[in-house]
Amino acid sequence: MKGWALALVVVVAATLAIGVQGLPTHDAPEAPIHDHVGARYVERGVEETGMRNLVGAVLLNYRGFDTMVEVVVIFTALAAVLALPRAGSVADAPEALPVSPVVLFVVRLLAPFIALFAIALLFRGHVSPGGGFQAGALFGALFVALGLVLGRRGAARLVPERARPWLQAAAPLTFAAVAALGWALTGSFLGFPQAPELHAVREAMALALEVAIAVGGGVILGSLFQTMEA
Amino acid sequence: MAPFGVDLDYVAVAALFCIGLYMLVAKSNLLKKLLGLNVMETSVFAFIVTSGMVEGGDPPLLVAGAQPPFASPIPQAMVLTGIVVVVSVTAVALSLIVQIYAHYGTLEVDELKERP
Repeated sequence: MKGWALALVVVVAATLAIGVQGLPTHDAPEAPIHDHVGARYVERGVEETGMRNLVGAVLLNYRGFDTMVEVVVIFTALAAVLALPRAGSVADAPEALPVSPVVLFVVRLLAPFIALFAIALLFRGHVSPGGGFQAGALFGALFVALGLVLGRRGAARLVPERARPWLQAAAPLTFAAVAALGWALTGSFLGFPQAPELHAVREAMALALEVAIAVGGGVILGSLFQTMEA
Repeated sequence: MAPFGVDLDYVAVAALFCIGLYMLVAKSNLLKKLLGLNVMETSVFAFIVTSGMVEGGDPPLLVAGAQPPFASPIPQAMVLTGIVVVVSVTAVALSLIVQIYAHYGTLEVDELKERP
């Protein structure tokens, strides 16, 4: 078994070594990736999307369908995890592992700063590195850290039970709503209006998507962790 | 840096990919297989995201003071998409692993094969 695995790895490594020879020099400005559509995005991205962070422009605008299906993917993953039968019932699992006072103090001290950083990433994401997904990852990490020190019941209180399914589905639902709005305004699904008088609408649509991705992503990550912990 | 006519980044990515592949194939523990898969995926992300870099380039943020050349925004956006997919795959796989351990008490593939 191990021998076959090693042989496979050697074959793959040899193939990769041959393939790497044909790749463009690293960091070269004339590499093909900087031509074609990439050059156009850099040149006209701000004008066409209104976002100065071109990564965000590509994510939400040029490749919006990709992102829309992507939030559906992570939502489907949560649905699959929730659909699996639970190994042990929640009742007989221990409420929480005993937490050291140092861990408790540090998490309580850091939690507001993590939340602040996540919010900054979210709302400064159009002019600096950041955006919905990055903020969502931080919110998820915050939920996990708080869940570890607060125990299962305390963590469950962070997100109200009645709002939880809606928050978990926030990103796909918002994408559907924004796509429908874009359809009504521009005639194409998930279209962003280009007209100068509709620039405020365009920015509001992008902001709604970013917020939904951050909230939905964070809640889904936290829920995944809590479901698996149970 | 190109000591043997090949960029060091490509060598690192290929090495990481092979390490992940070996873990995925050779290890019999399901958790280690999953870790190997994650290492492989990380190598692919590193490959894609570094491909958009440009010598002396600025990040693709067209704010005041930024000047060309800019790193390509497309690989970064695509890797962001990929990371979400990997998180989803890892979450589902981990939760299946938890189930398997709860039912059989082991994660070794050899032992699992002998169970009815």
